[in-house]
Amino acid sequence: MIEWLNKNWLSITVPAIVFLAFFVVAIWARKTLYNYLDRLFVKITWEGSRILLHTTRAPFFQWCLIFGAYTAIQIATLSPHTKALTGRILGSIFFISLIWTVIILTERLLKLCLVKLKASPLLPITLIINVVRIAFAVVCILILLDIWGAPTTPLILLFTIGLLVLILASRNEIVNIFSGLQLAHGDLIKTGDYIKLESGEEGYVSDITWRNIQIKASDGRMLLVPNGKFTKTTVTTYREPFKKATQPFRFYTRLHIKELTGLKAKNLSELVSMLREVPDPVVYYHTHNFIEEYQYLIPQPANEFAVWVGDVIGDEILAEKLSNIDTFEFPSVGELRERIIAVINDGLSTRGDRRTAFEGREFHFIKSVSVVLTTPYIAHDLREFVEALRKVSINSLYFHIFESRLRLHKGINDFSIWLQDNLDERELADKIAALDPYNHTIEGLRSIIIQLIEKRIK
Amino acid sequence: MEKAIFHHPRAKIQDYVPIVGRSTIEELRAIAERLSGKTIQNINSTFTGGGVAEILMRMTPLLNQLGVDAQWTTIKGHKDFFDVTKKFHNALHGRQEDISAEDFSLFLEVNKKNADELKFQGDIFFIHDPQPVALIARKKELEGKWIWRCHIDISNPDKGVWEFVRNFVVDYDAAVFSAPNFSQELPIRQFMISPSIDPLSDKNKELSSETIDSVLNKYGMDKDKPIIAQISRFDYLKDPLGVIQAFEMVRKSIDCQLILAGGTATDDPESEKVLEEIRERASGNPDIHILVIPQESDIEINALQQAATVILQKSIKEGFGLTVAEALWKGKPVVASAVGGIQLQVKNKLTGLLCYSVEGAAYALKRLLSNKEYAAWLGNNGREHVRQNFLITRHLKDYLLLFISLYNPSSDTIYL
Repeated sequence: MIEWLNKNWLSITVPAIVFLAFFVVAIWARKTLYNYLDRLFVKITWEGSRILLHTTRAPFFQWCLIFGAYTAIQIATLSPHTKALTGRILGSIFFISLIWTVIILTERLLKLCLVKLKASPLLPITLIINVVRIAFAVVCILILLDIWGAPTTPLILLFTIGLLVLILASRNEIVNIFSGLQLAHGDLIKTGDYIKLESGEEGYVSDITWRNIQIKASDGRMLLVPNGKFTKTTVTTYREPFKKATQPFRFYTRLHIKELTGLKAKNLSELVSMLREVPDPVVYYHTHNFIEEYQYLIPQPANEFAVWVGDVIGDEILAEKLSNIDTFEFPSVGELRERIIAVINDGLSTRGDRRTAFEGREFHFIKSVSVVLTTPYIAHDLREFVEALRKVSINSLYFHIFESRLRLHKGINDFSIWLQDNLDERELADKIAALDPYNHTIEGLRSIIIQLIEKRIK
Repeated sequence: MEKAIFHHPRAKIQDYVPIVGRSTIEELRAIAERLSGKTIQNINSTFTGGGVAEILMRMTPLLNQLGVDAQWTTIKGHKDFFDVTKKFHNALHGRQEDISAEDFSLFLEVNKKNADELKFQGDIFFIHDPQPVALIARKKELEGKWIWRCHIDISNPDKGVWEFVRNFVVDYDAAVFSAPNFSQELPIRQFMISPSIDPLSDKNKELSSETIDSVLNKYGMDKDKPIIAQISRFDYLKDPLGVIQAFEMVRKSIDCQLILAGGTATDDPESEKVLEEIRERASGNPDIHILVIPQESDIEINALQQAATVILQKSIKEGFGLTVAEALWKGKPVVASAVGGIQLQVKNKLTGLLCYSVEGAAYALKRLLSNKEYAAWLGNNGREHVRQNFLITRHLKDYLLLFISLYNPSSDTIYL
């Protein structure tokens, strides 16, 4: 061993001295260079300078050492094969370190820039960083392969194909991202806007991400609409905030089932006599049933008393008079009942009880049993109200316009009460209250009320 | 005891949205939610043939999809029992029937046997028609809510048979009838629920003209000649002889053809006799086509209805008359007798024409065959009338509300 050292001390000592010299120079250069840069960056006040210095300080020293090791090996008395091998190893370590440093530096600088852009909700930061990481990693792999003499063409081809497949597979996502960027740049949609898409989705924008826009619909559902859809459809945006109601309007719906009373009248005397006795829901049923049952017919038939008197009893004069009773005039079912009885009695006193119904054609008294349910639709302002109004069933409209007014003794429809008490929309409330609902189909009423509100909103 | 197994793929409740609207389906779901945890057991006498089986076949899976545990079982009975129940059926419709004491005994005996053997499981027992009415004997022991669903026209029943049936009905919690004039003096609550048709079934869905033509070709019909059709079970109560008579009156002035088509139900042993009689009456007239349509041939029935120029339903008595709703749904002008539930569907001169006699039927047929625009206007109104009032979604809603109202007996307005 000692003999070998005596023989080769020069070939060991010289490379070691060279490496140590690099080590010392590296310490000095790092100190000098970074002190200079420190002073320089203080002057130019660039926020990224700290990141640049902090990220490259340690790697700079490592690279000097790698270069020192490479030089030492090159001047050492080693076989050309060993020199080439160690050169490749050191080259690989250098490039891995370099790329790693570049990745970290880019990542930190990107984050800094994106935060400064203040558009983070629509920018896919994580995705961009991952793409940068992958791109540098690919470059690194290609350089390493080149250093080690491996063919790079098949790998480049493979990466290219993979990239194409990836782009193809995620083309919708790419469209969403670009649409998101476009939306962010154009300032077209903001959180809090009320938007309405041609395809039907609508509601308040509750969140905007780089992939989709989250909309809170009036029935409480959260809708996720991909950003790409916004570039393909017509979007109406209502930015001006609407006045919020003190209490929201909850839409109810009412369904009913027919309960048979077993009572039947075969002439006018029996009709009027039973009409005095039956409970209010029976009178209500026969004066309102046609509104729901024949809503497709314009004009709608009259109340069932009038239809029976005309069709079965054949007293056209009385039928006309019963048809002409304006239900809208009466604040309660009891008063409506009294009016119907008075009209029939008047007919009886002038023309008598002339005809009896054929068997099977008697007037059957039916009671309406109502079941009232909540719907998911809630309105906090006029915009939400009108949009919910478009969607609720005719049963819901019927409940708020007809049932609550007469059967639940409110004397006025629910919409007008809410508009006046909770939104202070007295004029609009009065206009809706003044509508005679018995002169329209339910769909016709829906359309008129929507028009009134839309006019008010504009 | 047999339990229904649904082999065929059924429509999803969501499939009805394009027909009745999203809000209607949302409302069904909202009511059904209030019945979660309750089991409803439907009990009738047959799984096949006739309107009741047809409705249950559709309703039960849809109720299940809405989250309501609905089941369907049938009672067991031999031919003698069904002969007796057929007599009951006719008698309740008002026909004179010779029913002996032995018949009543047999009825009670079969019901008792079923009451003992049937596996009752539910919170609500929904008993359909008179055949299983005496199962109510188990009410005290099983508790729960019991409903008797009467699908037939009992507006003018044979007093003796009705009294016999009524003795059982009074023990139920509620009775359900298809039309107001079927209601009776009863100490229990009575509800009116009309039956319905399923717009997505083979019998009611849209068909291509090729399918319609192929069915007409199969039965040797002339597709260029106006068609008057009555699609009904072969039954005296459907007045098939009256239909032929009315057609002969029309045929004198208008070149047209008649289809009398129908099937048979397993609980109706009389249909063969009726069929024989009308074949004899129609023999020699090439414009009258008597078609016996086998079960499971709903597409053929649908095609015949869609091919018809006018649809006739000249029933003498009718529980409801689902074939009328089917015809109206297809936008066809309808002439029908002013009996039973038909009057709920055909509003005279608004959704069709009502008649009271053979002559009246012939006159109405002639009016419609000669006035295409008027016929089309009636047909269009008829379709909308069915959409609003006689589709299965309305029927589902009524059943769900009925179940809910049983738990709220004293209230006219129930808040859920």
